[in-house]
Amino acid sequence: MKVLVLNSGSSSIKYQFFDTEKKIALAKGLVDRIGMSGAVLSHQRYDGNNIKIAGEILDHQIAVEYVLGVMLSKNHGVIDDKKDIDAVGHRVVHGGETFSGSVFITDEVVKVLQDNIELAPLHNPPNIKGIQACQRILPDTPQCGVFDTAFHSHMPPKSYLYGIPYELYKKYKIRRYGFHGTSHLYVSQRAAALLNKDVKDLKIITAHLGNGCSMAAVKNGQSMDTTMGFTPLEGLLMGTRSGDLDPSLILFIMGKEGLTVGEANTLLNKHSGLIGISGESSDMREILTAVKDNQQRAKWAFEIFCYRIKKYVGAYAAAMGGLDALVFTGGIGENSKEIREEVCKEMEFLGIHLDDLKNQNSDEIISAENSKVSVMRIPTNEELVIALDTAKIVSEIQK
Amino acid sequence: MQEEKLRLEDLLESSNSANDDDRINHVAIIGAGIMGQGIAQTVAGMGLEVTIVEVDSEKLEIAKAQLTESIDREIKRWAMTKSDKKAIFSRIKWATDTNSVKDSEIIIEAVQEDFDLKVSVFKELDRIANPDTIFVSNTSTLSLTKISESISKERSTRVIGMHFLNPVPKIPMVELVKSLHTSNETVLKVKEFASRIGKTPVEVYEYPGFITTRAIVPLINEAMHMLLEGIATAKDIDTALKLGYNFQYGPLEMADSMGLDEVLTWMETLWNTLGEPRYRPNPMIRKLVRERKLGKKTGEGIFKYDEHGNKIN
Repeated sequence: MKVLVLNSGSSSIKYQFFDTEKKIALAKGLVDRIGMSGAVLSHQRYDGNNIKIAGEILDHQIAVEYVLGVMLSKNHGVIDDKKDIDAVGHRVVHGGETFSGSVFITDEVVKVLQDNIELAPLHNPPNIKGIQACQRILPDTPQCGVFDTAFHSHMPPKSYLYGIPYELYKKYKIRRYGFHGTSHLYVSQRAAALLNKDVKDLKIITAHLGNGCSMAAVKNGQSMDTTMGFTPLEGLLMGTRSGDLDPSLILFIMGKEGLTVGEANTLLNKHSGLIGISGESSDMREILTAVKDNQQRAKWAFEIFCYRIKKYVGAYAAAMGGLDALVFTGGIGENSKEIREEVCKEMEFLGIHLDDLKNQNSDEIISAENSKVSVMRIPTNEELVIALDTAKIVSEIQK
Repeated sequence: MQEEKLRLEDLLESSNSANDDDRINHVAIIGAGIMGQGIAQTVAGMGLEVTIVEVDSEKLEIAKAQLTESIDREIKRWAMTKSDKKAIFSRIKWATDTNSVKDSEIIIEAVQEDFDLKVSVFKELDRIANPDTIFVSNTSTLSLTKISESISKERSTRVIGMHFLNPVPKIPMVELVKSLHTSNETVLKVKEFASRIGKTPVEVYEYPGFITTRAIVPLINEAMHMLLEGIATAKDIDTALKLGYNFQYGPLEMADSMGLDEVLTWMETLWNTLGEPRYRPNPMIRKLVRERKLGKKTGEGIFKYDEHGNKIN
């Protein structure tokens, strides 16, 4: 089956076009800097044919249209007709409590996703826009949604309940949902394979560090806790998101600055995190450059970012009663040796010994031979998981 | 690797990227004053295309500068982002030629509150716009039925009022005003449009002052009477009503924000049309308007304001 996978992030859309029988990508690409200056689509075909298209890509709908355009284009495309796409699989951030696994998308499903917008204000809207754009351009092609929340849906109540009146959980389903589930699932299984062990016998901490960042405590193959919570705002410091903070401070700020609920949401989701502290950039690459230039606020942003991760490594090792592997993934986790080094510094008491050379070389296993805990750098592949799930659901329906 | 500067149309040979539903997707606004700018920002912020028309390019430049300043102020207080601003401006076309709005599905006039001016705008638009295009007036006091009777009979069923309140992007409500001739189809379509741009629509039959203006004018008038009779200071009147009834602003500061000349016009219209003494303008507001102390926009009304519009205590 040929499946187009769309992964719409807050300012980018990653896409891959898979042959699911052969488990290979026929084409892949990235629309980057959506809504910013210098927006660009980079497209790569299986035969190495490359193209970069600069354009004014102001929102996610236009981005999806660009993706379908390049897939169909004479010189760089991989299909002659839209009908060659057998199915579309969408990464969807928030499934709420309704979806604990992947689903075939119907109008009712879209309605439930819309109801979940307030739970993931940055992500569900671009996800839904991607789905609706595909419904318009590919009206006869089946579509599936694969949820970031699904892998965490079996967390125990002690992990997912907050210390607020229980009635609020019953009334509004306020609980920890967790995100990046597909990525945490993929890299934890890949880590077990690299260690030649059954994931069911392992205690793994996975750190997905990208534009959004989260960590998960994966015990015996299941997520037992994760840093993101009710929305993708909780936990680690992120590009533009605050992560953990004292809830009273937002009430204080709203009073002092006269912010409405919506404006406070913008403050915490779009003006905080790396950009808020550094005043420079939400992009870790630019923060690292500023750190080298000795800019104090960028240094603090870098330090806070790493310190939060370190704290959660300790917390999750304690929660699981031990630790076998620590996995870094996501754009920052895969590419920033500085971050990995800073997080693993002075963690020998926990059995974490980084091998500097392996870390510099960005090997898959970057811990020293004598390290009790295996430290790994594993490129995530959420798209493959989404393509395979989509193919499975669609072929079951077509039976 | 090739690097090309392509447009979407170059890639899509057969696909139609336009919205294919029958909902309103292109909006035109006549008049780029504060209301026109606010409506444009709201509509573009929700992802719809907007064309905004003014009589000359000088007025357009002023409008662009004012809208930029107002959004920049929101970015500075962390309520919006730079990419919000960019996306909004990318969806607004600025024009001086009324012909550029002929393909819009809805045209909103936000020109000055002057009957003859509004009629002449609608007459011109009636000639050039598609027969299905809905005409919206942002009037707060004028008779929509009379305005709609000045144009073709077919069009008059597609005339409706949308009374937005200032600041438009922040007030989550709009009054939909039905004239004698407004069809149900027009009401339904505009209701859907209102919800789509994030406003809760409230239906109201044409009647002087609708709900909002009719209720707020006597409150402001009463507050001014109290001030004139010397029973409390302006600050204490506002504080009592703000804290006592959980208003965001007191009525006197609210009047200053709306513009005292504007408030005086409403009072006179309500007094003339409804004939109730409770709408009769207080002598103090007449005096302040005569002195050109119009409120926030002139730096002084009932209170004094600095150049950023902040109240000076």
